[in-house]
Amino acid sequence: MRTQLKLRVLIGLVLVVGFGGGASDVSAQSSGSPTASEVENLKKQMAVMEEQLRQLRLQVERLAGQPAAPGSAGQPAASADELATQKRLSEIEGKANAALDATKKTFASQFNPSISLAIDTIASYKSNSQGFNPGDGTGTRDAGQPINNSRPAGADFNLRTAELFISADVDPFTRAYATINASADAANGDEAALTVEEAAIVTTRLPYNLTVRGGRFFADFGTLIHRHDHDLPFVDRPPSIDTLVGGEGQTNGVEVSWLAPTPFYLRASATVGNKFGSDFRDGVSNTNSRPIKGLTYLGRLQTYFDINDDNNVELGGSIAEAPNAEDVTNSGRFERRLVGLDFKYRWYPLGRGLRQSLTVAGEILHDVGDADPVNGGPRIDIFGNPVRQGAWGGYVYAEYRLSKQWRPGFRFDYFQQQSEPLLVTNPFTGLPASTQNATGHRTDNRTWSPYLTWFPSEFQRLRLQYNRSDRGNAQDANEFFLQWTVFLGSHVHGFSERE
Amino acid sequence: MTQRLHNFLYGVILVVIFLAAGIARAEDKIYVVTTLPDLADITGRIGGDLVTVESLAKGIEDPHGIPMKPSFVPKLNRAQVVVLMGLEYEHSWLPGLLLEARNQKILKGQSGYIDVSIRVTPKEVPTDLSRARGELHPLGNPHFNLDPEGGRLIAQAIAEGLTLNFPQHRKKFESNLKEFLAQLDAKLREWEAMAKPLKGVKFISYHADFTYFADRFGLDYVGTIEFKPGIEPTAAHLVELMQNMKTGGVKIVLREPHFSEKVPNQIANEVGGLVVKLPIMVGGVPEVKTYFDLIEYNLRTLLKAAQAAGVAGKV
Repeated sequence: MRTQLKLRVLIGLVLVVGFGGGASDVSAQSSGSPTASEVENLKKQMAVMEEQLRQLRLQVERLAGQPAAPGSAGQPAASADELATQKRLSEIEGKANAALDATKKTFASQFNPSISLAIDTIASYKSNSQGFNPGDGTGTRDAGQPINNSRPAGADFNLRTAELFISADVDPFTRAYATINASADAANGDEAALTVEEAAIVTTRLPYNLTVRGGRFFADFGTLIHRHDHDLPFVDRPPSIDTLVGGEGQTNGVEVSWLAPTPFYLRASATVGNKFGSDFRDGVSNTNSRPIKGLTYLGRLQTYFDINDDNNVELGGSIAEAPNAEDVTNSGRFERRLVGLDFKYRWYPLGRGLRQSLTVAGEILHDVGDADPVNGGPRIDIFGNPVRQGAWGGYVYAEYRLSKQWRPGFRFDYFQQQSEPLLVTNPFTGLPASTQNATGHRTDNRTWSPYLTWFPSEFQRLRLQYNRSDRGNAQDANEFFLQWTVFLGSHVHGFSERE
Repeated sequence: MTQRLHNFLYGVILVVIFLAAGIARAEDKIYVVTTLPDLADITGRIGGDLVTVESLAKGIEDPHGIPMKPSFVPKLNRAQVVVLMGLEYEHSWLPGLLLEARNQKILKGQSGYIDVSIRVTPKEVPTDLSRARGELHPLGNPHFNLDPEGGRLIAQAIAEGLTLNFPQHRKKFESNLKEFLAQLDAKLREWEAMAKPLKGVKFISYHADFTYFADRFGLDYVGTIEFKPGIEPTAAHLVELMQNMKTGGVKIVLREPHFSEKVPNQIANEVGGLVVKLPIMVGGVPEVKTYFDLIEYNLRTLLKAAQAAGVAGKV
């Protein structure tokens, strides 16, 4: 009797499962081409159904295996039930297998890498251009090389970035990613120049906590130096980085990084590459080969501490050394050494952090060498003599999150040029390049930048920024930016791009 | 100078050796890292004294916005298994951390990657994936932990996952699972009786966290304060929502602890309703220390509020 009852329950269950199976069958067919997520869900549901079926089958087997109930007069009815159940079961099994087979179909597109696109547009206005007077007695006040590629005076709209980010696993041992950037820049005659910003292969299964990355990538140096333009907390890259590194810290090379097996976070990396940062006029670029000593060597050590649940600190130190790079322009050799220290303090109260938090972070850079990467040729002192000299630079910023959508912030930036002008503006007459820089003071370049970011959603951002720039002997400039950025496609949150 | 350098280096080496020894001792037990505290509680029940469990997130946090703290990296590096909710619940932070953690055992697809959603039939699976519909979960709503039947599936998946990785302890895991499920079954009967007056009670919440919970106990989920998943409310959306609440007689506004009180309070004032703070994870409020506490606290608190608002049914 109990057996019969159990069987009835069983049949009920089977019917439910049967209908469920039918339903998912239909849904699989009705949608023209199932998306990856639908297929994924279907697979999950099938896994659940399979499990249920397995259980049911086990139960049937167990029931069938039970010794016949005493006085087997009632048996024919029970076995008829059993037969019906088994028939139904095999029907369902057939259906389930068919549906499962359908989900097992592979589409070539399933192997497509994940793709995302960032569009970063900027409207800007600059009151006056700020050239760096060569200080040799020629030219007007703002003549000469524009400082750190800053945009000319006036108003313009700039599609800074249309950046394609592609990534996928290569095989069980490696993954790879590439960033292809097209930017139509007024400084380039508004032509969209397509460049490969990064294209790198990364190992995933090396022992001893090691990872190797090779190809072209933004080298592990500092914090904001390896961020893409659109990924910075500000509209522009801090001018100190732009001067002392030259934009993003790009290199063609190979990097080994190691995670220390310590209870706290400690990570070290060593990189060797062609160059670090922008192509400099003195030959540190990707275009010519060089002696081994002419390569650029980089190292970084970084750590992190939770002060408590709500407060934490990150510290890092980096070095980039080109011991004997070839100066193609001047057919000489020079050394370049860049040392950086960075810190980041975060107050991110648990539970409220997405809506209320504070970040204070900064970097200090010291560049020593005997060539002037911005102006080309050797570095010169205030008397115009070639000299090995250092230049300091750095920035510090604070950003407060008022809500999920609003984040005001303030940045201060300071840097020294690698070379100093021989003659500077006479403070009394205002005549440019007319007075010897007799005091020997390094020229100060300062930028004050309040900014405000608004996030209507996680994938869209508008940012307003004002820069007050004081550039040595050039006239102070006012700059206004309005940046509008969106992100399309798959959403990758990399560890090194964490906020 | 060289002597001092040598002394310093020896010092560093000694410190590293001591640290390594310390870690080795701690790893006599199976070290499990879970993403959320609910998973830590249930893993603790299944693994018993065989495991040391640590949850990366704390109960009061926004599970969609856990910061990628570098201090999580060494934990994941040492973890023998990682237990996660799945359904892309942790998509904004876990994949990035796993890539950095350099632990092959817990990469997706490996046995040490225990996805507890494997047995769940997801609800609210989007039929059309467009960001115009907000920050969608492509695989469906991942908040199945708030349904005690979800807790059953979680426990089963954890037991299976642990057994797969540590087959030598199969018996122990199985008996712990059995005990957990028996306790869950007993509780479930209590909870269902307790929830009877909540049948048909209409409510809104900030984010769509309570779908599975509402379905289990027969509540009527009217809408969310968020305009779309993950998108803050627009003025027009709030006006429409409050209009719907007034016409539908909705009095209960659920607030998850990580959302601000301002908007829920305004809505409740406007419609003459009540704001109820309900945790969505273990530890979301101090009283909720275990998974059973979570379900019980939510039911009890909601029941009290429904009675106060005069919308609870008679048993």
